[in-house]
Amino acid sequence: MLNGWLKKLIGKSDSKGVAKKRLQFTLIYDKLEVSDDILIKLHQDIVDVISRYFEIDKESLKLDIRKSEGRSALVVNTPILSAKRVCPPPKGGV
Amino acid sequence: MAGSALKRCPLEGRVIVITSGKGGVGKTTATASIGAALALEGKQVAVVDMDIGLRNLDVVMGLENRIVFNVVDAAKGKCKIKQAAIKDRRIENLYLIPASQSDNKDILTPEAMVRLCKELRKEFDYILLDCPAGIERGFENSVAPADEAVVICTPEVSSVRDADRVIGLLYARSITPRLIVNRIVPEMVENGDMLSHEDVVEVLSVELLGLVQLDNQVVISTNTGVPLVLQKDSEAGQAFRRIAQRLDGQEDLPIEIPQTQKSFWKKLGIIIGIGK
Repeated sequence: MLNGWLKKLIGKSDSKGVAKKRLQFTLIYDKLEVSDDILIKLHQDIVDVISRYFEIDKESLKLDIRKSEGRSALVVNTPILSAKRVCPPPKGGV
Repeated sequence: MAGSALKRCPLEGRVIVITSGKGGVGKTTATASIGAALALEGKQVAVVDMDIGLRNLDVVMGLENRIVFNVVDAAKGKCKIKQAAIKDRRIENLYLIPASQSDNKDILTPEAMVRLCKELRKEFDYILLDCPAGIERGFENSVAPADEAVVICTPEVSSVRDADRVIGLLYARSITPRLIVNRIVPEMVENGDMLSHEDVVEVLSVELLGLVQLDNQVVISTNTGVPLVLQKDSEAGQAFRRIAQRLDGQEDLPIEIPQTQKSFWKKLGIIIGIGK
């Protein structure tokens, strides 16, 4: 209440500051959203790359985007069946 | 409908899309006003209502009673461009191509719009496309033929957020948009209750084209269908005229920042150098 009274006295409030902070946070959060198409493509690419080095169960590879405040993490989880003994030939410009 | 005034321009016209993402921020008023102002500068101007099914540019311009053909007819070749372009009653060189009122959203395609605009470029210096709200089909149709883009937003969180989204989509199509901040209330900005244009530009990091303050004359202009830019006492109208001049190559024309209305004595004080 005192705050409101003070604001009235000074004639200034700062709802704009609140708006700006909310806006900046919203925009950051919006940009962390990834479309399903991209996730499916990424899933396929990750399976391909890992399969060059490991025998994996392709069906059970899990790809997740975990969000916490202002941050996102890409989490890939896959059981390894066995490691490949032969080093795969280098691939140019994938 | 249009008479023989449609002249061939020596150079190809510029296609500019006016967009915002969010609805109700002033796209249609801006399109009508900038179009009128460009025509007053002596340019051949076509404003095109791209909001298929929900046309409104015609009423804002006071031309709703004269529609025979529309943009869909023109794009599909059912009529000639000259038949779809309605000549403005008051302003020379200004033409409106209205939207259709069909509720079939897929009636128009980006390819058809590119073809239509290719023809329009030959006839007009400026083709302004009044984009519908949203980022779906109507947006695609409006952006596909555009060389340039003007993004409109108001100093509100929801509007700036949508503007950011649209700016991203425009960049993805290799269009660098310019921004108009509309409906600024100088008193509220001064009191810290409204985002300033600096705040908006900082958040969106985009080039500013102009600033327009909230103006009751906009409602009056829409009531009567008389162009806002013809009203000498309209702050918004005058702001749109400067925006049009800047678009038309007067890049060094300064962007005026909407100010609070100062009383006579305060103004006098500023003139003689006391007070602010």
